[in-house]
Formats: sequence, structure tokens, C-alpha cells
Amino acid sequence: MDFQIEVNNKHIKVKEGETLLTALRGHGIRIPTLCHMNRFSPTGACRLCVVEVEGKRDLITSCSFPVEDGMKVKTNSRRVIQARKALVELLLSNHPDDCLYCVRNGHCELQWLAESMNIKERKYFGNKNTHYPDYSSTSVARDPAKCILCSRCVRICEEVQLVTAIDFISRGNQTMVNSAFNKGLNVSSCIHCGQCIQVCPTAALTDISHQEKVLAALDKKDVRVMFMISPSVAASIADILGLKIKDNPLELICSALRRCGADKVFHLGAASDINIREEASNLVRSIQNAGNGMPLLSSCCPAWVRYVEEFRPEWITSLSKTKSPQQIMGALIKTNYANQNGIPVEQVYNVAVMPCVGKKYEASREENTHKGISETDAVLTVRELLQLLRSCGLDITNTEGELLDKPFDQSSGAAWKMGYSGGKAEAVAREAFLMMGGKPDAFKFNAPKNISGRKETKIQIGGKQVGFAWVSSISDAEEYLQQLSEDGREDIHYVEIMACLSGCAGGGGQPISRGFEQVIARKKLCMEMEKNCDVSDPKDNPALKAFFGDDQFLSEDDEVKNWLRTDFKERRVVK
Amino acid sequence: MYVLYFFPIFVEYCEIYINTKLMGVSLEKIFEKFPNRRREDMIPLLQAIQDNHGFLSEEIISAVGDYLRISVNKIYGVATFYDNFRFGPVGKFHIRLCHGTACHVAGGGSLLKELERILKISDGECDKQGLFSLEVVSCIGACGLAPLIEVNDMYYTNLDLQSLKELIESFREKENSAL
Repeated sequence: MDFQIEVNNKHIKVKEGETLLTALRGHGIRIPTLCHMNRFSPTGACRLCVVEVEGKRDLITSCSFPVEDGMKVKTNSRRVIQARKALVELLLSNHPDDCLYCVRNGHCELQWLAESMNIKERKYFGNKNTHYPDYSSTSVARDPAKCILCSRCVRICEEVQLVTAIDFISRGNQTMVNSAFNKGLNVSSCIHCGQCIQVCPTAALTDISHQEKVLAALDKKDVRVMFMISPSVAASIADILGLKIKDNPLELICSALRRCGADKVFHLGAASDINIREEASNLVRSIQNAGNGMPLLSSCCPAWVRYVEEFRPEWITSLSKTKSPQQIMGALIKTNYANQNGIPVEQVYNVAVMPCVGKKYEASREENTHKGISETDAVLTVRELLQLLRSCGLDITNTEGELLDKPFDQSSGAAWKMGYSGGKAEAVAREAFLMMGGKPDAFKFNAPKNISGRKETKIQIGGKQVGFAWVSSISDAEEYLQQLSEDGREDIHYVEIMACLSGCAGGGGQPISRGFEQVIARKKLCMEMEKNCDVSDPKDNPALKAFFGDDQFLSEDDEVKNWLRTDFKERRVVK
Repeated sequence: MYVLYFFPIFVEYCEIYINTKLMGVSLEKIFEKFPNRRREDMIPLLQAIQDNHGFLSEEIISAVGDYLRISVNKIYGVATFYDNFRFGPVGKFHIRLCHGTACHVAGGGSLLKELERILKISDGECDKQGLFSLEVVSCIGACGLAPLIEVNDMYYTNLDLQSLKELIESFREKENSAL
């Protein structure tokens, strides 16, 4: 049923049941908020969304107030504006005045609010709380001094990722968001997904920057810096800088990185192709052996792997033992490629550019380090890449693209599918289908369109019906896998799991998103660029054919195992 | 060098910790009183454990988390919210000094200063021997008898600096004669 309400002397139609905030925002009225998150229950913690309603004595928080028929609302009366301004001024009174030195300078919601409310001077003076930053984690850095206690990170960590690595500690003006026993994130149950960074309105949560490391390596004469660019990075750079697909964003990034001093720039999609082929062949093998019990779970998302290791060690045996694309390529460069080109391993410095902060953690895992040499030395997020290009004074919108370096200079269309939830399941399904002699034209993959919740589909592979499923976010994954085992279902054979909602398109290392629309936009760009690829299947990738000859990486060889397969183990943390 | 410097303190802490762990009943016995493992059992359970063990150690909070199937961080958050929960050991004589309005007017502040001087500990601390610990609390509810302190559930009222000193001395004597 529709309601009529009056807002700022104008009549508008709203739906029954929605909150005042969503109703007003749907009609182009800006209501500032710091704690509100779409798809979450309202908390009313920041109180910035207050509006004046006729007949109500106090100002009400619009995020938690359902619309009523005939209500008269004022969103910009003097009383409302003064209340909001006072709230922001109070937040600023305990906030460090170092915007110029802040990583979120220009992207900070608190800064925007202060600017929009015309705050030009400090109004409240007092002692500030003393807080110490926490750089103990390999991926996420915390600076509680910049925290405004909006509880977004706490809610996403608890409700979406089921981890509760951070929570409110203490009370009153001593309250802070911290890990258990104030011990630091490295001993907490943090799974390094980086979703807290995405939702943080200020710079209280940021990534551990590898930019200085990379710049130092670029400066050294005897070090050869190899960049590996993930396809989804190209999509998100194209989205944020408004690049056209026909200009080929990946080649633009490649040319810019060469100007920065990169020795080689590789296409990480080539490693994605290897990963897809290997996982498909494992899947085919397990179907042929009448695979029983748990389905094969994808393991290319480091946050998901970490979650299983911490909370669900009983599922470790079901995880795919194939390394993630980043580690496959890192290891390949330092073994096969370095040997073939006569480069000493110590001189190779691998830098992956990823839409993910969890990859920083993955690069530091002990399984991915051999005799003191790590497969990937540094990982840049998309934010850091943009920062690097800015600080080097490179404008990629005005350059000409350059071809990437051989041998890993191209990928199949399937590699682009890794950039969003459901893509990998489809790629693996298609590859398995083709491996068992299916015709490319006969392959049909019916993908449900919903973003969250369960998504399943079944296809015929080699005369057997094989079930594929994909979920994104840990809470969905947990719910889905528990249901699978409760119902005793054996018709699902492969589950793709991504820790971030909508997969890597919504990853923790992406530019701070202004809403879910941006995530969808990145996903669409990935899909479009996929169509631009010369080859659609990993097995036809000419780069891999040239490097490996005929599929020798699919053998059960011990030497192959080192760079292609990995292992997982239970981890005991404070959880 | 640093190891040598911290070593005595570390040993002392361990002794106090072990003492408090030995007193009272085991954790499992307390857990048995809360068989339903409900979320709302958290605070009563923590209180029962603190009554027995003196304080909530990290190991205890982790054990409670495992038992109630709640994140450890969540429990730590709740426990730090309430002043009543302690995270460090208490001495044999746990002194709670009232700092409510009436006690403050009647000289509670100077009692605190005196206690800090003679015991060489401040609010929330325990001395090295594990004998005295000090906690400043809000009103105990005996304003007519201000200023007062509470030692192991016994109230000592209408104190002044002289009687406070004698009181502490009497505790020391009691401890010495018991040895």
C-alpha cells in the first residue's frame, strides 16, 4: 500500500513498511549517515540521519523509523541541521587532525560530512583518547584513533563473515573496536577478507601497504620486478577511470607499469587458466571415482581457506589442493621461467596486483615460501595501484596500450570469469564438460540471477549429472554447506566459494565502493571483456600451449606439485 | 638483559595465578550449573567463575567461549563493559574503597592517597606478594558510615588516616601469624 507523506512542503508517495531513510533517499533527498548499511538491520548509532517530524517532541532517526501515513517531515530545518552539525563536531573533537597525511584523504565519509556541514573550525576542545595503531596483521591495519565507533565493521565481521574478529571493548569514552584481549589482529580469528576496510567510513581500517616495498624494489638495479595483473583489476580500473573496453585497460596498465620501471608485466589470467584446468581435471577424476561425501570446494579465495582452517577444520580434506592463480604464477616465474631465462631466483621480485587484501596474507603463508624465498613478494591492491600511478605521475587515460610480456601474455575468456561469483563454477563446469568430450556449442549453464543465497545448476558431463553450486560471503557458504550435509545430498559435486559478497568484484582491495551498484558495474565489465578474448577456453590458450607444450602440468609429477599444488592445515586462534 | 629484568615479576605473577586457579571448584563444575549453553547464561557464568577464581583470565574467557559457542571477542567485549569483572589477580586482602559522593566529602580521597602510599599500589593493582589489591568503586551504599572500605566482604567504617593505617597493620599481622 502506498502512503502519502509531506517532506519539506512537498507531497511524495512512499511504500508502507519501508523506513523513512530509504523513502527519502528514493526521492532524491540526501540524508547523511555513518552507521547505516543497506541490507542490515538499523542500529541508530550515529544519529546523523535525524529529521524533524511534526507532532513528535524529539528529533527522530530516520534510518530506524517506519513511514506513517500523512506524516509531515522536515529534513533541513535549522534544528535538524544544527543537531547534525553538533554531532559531527563532537566526532571531530576526538579525531586526529591529520587529514593531509591520511590514506583516506578525499575518500573519507567523515571528511565529506564535515565539508558538507560547513565546519570550518574546531568547536569542542578536550583531551583526546590515546590509541595505538595495530600493524600486526599481514593484511589489515587498524588505527583506533580514527575510529568513530559506527559499528559497520563489527556488524559485517559478525553477521556476514561469522568471524567476530573485532568487537567493541570497554565502555563509555573508553570504548574502542578491538580484537580479543587487545592482542592484535595477527592472533585473532581475522580471515583477511578486508570487508571491514570496504565499509569503514574513515581510515580506522586500511590495508597493510606494500607500496613502499615495491617502489624500493623498482629502484634496485639488480632486482627484476615482475608484475602480475589480475583481470578483475583491469575491470575495476576501467570502471573507476572510465576507460573504454576497446582500448584494452590491461594493456594501458601494462604500459604505465613499464614507465614505473617494471621489468615484465604478466597476465595473471594465464595462471587462472591453469587453475581452472587443474580443478576441472580433479573434478572429473573424483566424479569418475564415484566421489562421495563432501563436494569439491574451491580454494582460490584465501579468506575462505583461512575460515575453513580456523573454524571448520573438518572440511579441509574437501578443499581443492590447487594453488590460487597468484601463487601458481608466482611459483612458475621463480622456477620454470627463471630457469629457462637464466635469471637467479634471488633477483626476481614478484608483485601481484589484486582486488583483494587477503592475497597479501596468502603471499605470506608458509606453504607459499620455500627456503626463505616467497613465491609472491608483494601484493598491491587496486587502491595501491591507483596510488602508485598517481605518485609516479602517470595518466593511463592518455597513454597508448602495450602488449603484455610473453610467455604469460594472454588468457582465455574463462579467466575473466574468476572476477565475480559464479564465474569460476561456470568455467570449471565448461572445462570439465569439454574434457569429457562435450561439444562447446552444447554447453549450457543456467545461472540463477540472485546475488546472495544458494545458486545451483546441473549439467550432463560424460553421461553423468554433475551439480555445481556457488555462494559468496561466509555466512551463505556456512549455511549452504551445513544444509548439504544435513540433507545428505550427494548431487552437488563442486562448490565455488568466495568470501566477499558477489566475489572478487566486491573484494576488500577494490576502490572504496560507493554502493553495491559499483560492484555490479565491475562484474559487468568483467563479462564484457570476457567476450573480447580471442579464445574462450583455457585449453586453447596459446600462451600456455607455447610455454608447456601439451598439458604437462596436469600430470601427477612431484616437480609439478611444488608449483601447482598446496596444502592446508588446521589453525588455532582466539576465536 | 630484558629477560632477566622481567623474570622476577613474571615468576611472581605465575605464583599468584596458580594460587587463584587452585582455589575454589574447577571450571567444569561451574559449567555443569549451566547445562543449556544459552547466550543469556554468559554473565551469570562469568560471575560464578570470578567468585571462584578471583578474576577472569584469557584462558577462562576462551574456555567460556568454547562452552557457550560464542565468539571469545564477544565475551571479552561484554566482560570489559562491566566494572565488576576483573582481568588480573586479586590479593589475599582485596580492598574496595568507596568513592561515592558521601565518602568523597568525608575524606575518601585522602584515604585512597594513604592506601596508595602504604601499599605502593594504585587502583586495579595487586602487590607483588599477592597480599593486598586495591579497587576504587562507586557508592557501596553505606553513606551514613562514610568514609569506608570493604575488605573481603567485611565493612570497615568511619575511617580516618590513623585507623586505616592500624587496620592495614592488623591485616599484615594476621597474615604473619598465620604463616
